[in-house]
Amino acid sequence: MQVGTVVGQVWATRKESSLEGLRLLVVQPFLLGAEPSAETLVAVDTIGADLGERVLVVVGRAARHAIGKGHDIGFQCAIVAVVDGMQLEDRRVGQTTEGDS
Amino acid sequence: MFLGRVVGELWATRKSSDLEGKRLLVIEPLDERRGPPLGMVKPVVACDPLGADIGEAVLVAFGKAARVACGGDGDFAFEAAIVGLVDDFHVPDAPASWRPEASADSSSKGSK
Repeated sequence: MQVGTVVGQVWATRKESSLEGLRLLVVQPFLLGAEPSAETLVAVDTIGADLGERVLVVVGRAARHAIGKGHDIGFQCAIVAVVDGMQLEDRRVGQTTEGDS
Repeated sequence: MFLGRVVGELWATRKSSDLEGKRLLVIEPLDERRGPPLGMVKPVVACDPLGADIGEAVLVAFGKAARVACGGDGDFAFEAAIVGLVDDFHVPDAPASWRPEASADSSSKGSK
């Protein structure tokens, strides 16, 4: 599982039929330290996360299980939680904290 | 499965019911400490059925192994779990940063 921030949303009309009705969000992984990640990933939203919220992302079978449309689905990444807070050794990172520089 | 160090904890209210009652810890994989600049380590969030402490070295499993370790039958909405608390490890070529004392940099030794 990894932590990331919702930075956007994706819409697709022509898609794998098993993806009908799924909300697809763009998530930027959280890195320890400072800078935001340069990569992003697309995850199915099973919770109702909003833009800017920090979320927990799972991949693989866990994601297909969370999506709840059976295991034969053309997707393997899902948001399973909205993070309220995160206590790290050297600093505290709240739900809406962005890079504050 | 990998060796990591617990660097934090996180809380979530809105979450999959599979995560109810699960303690979620933020783990820094030790092998990502091999020379990267600080700030570029992607942490892994894992369920903790064992009660690991912050700063402790742990063994983390992925996938079905992780779900089974948390008492499931394999159908859970998470895929990483702490399956061991590491007492010690011996990796002769590992960088110094692997050692728990070295990575818990801010906590200095007690004696003067």
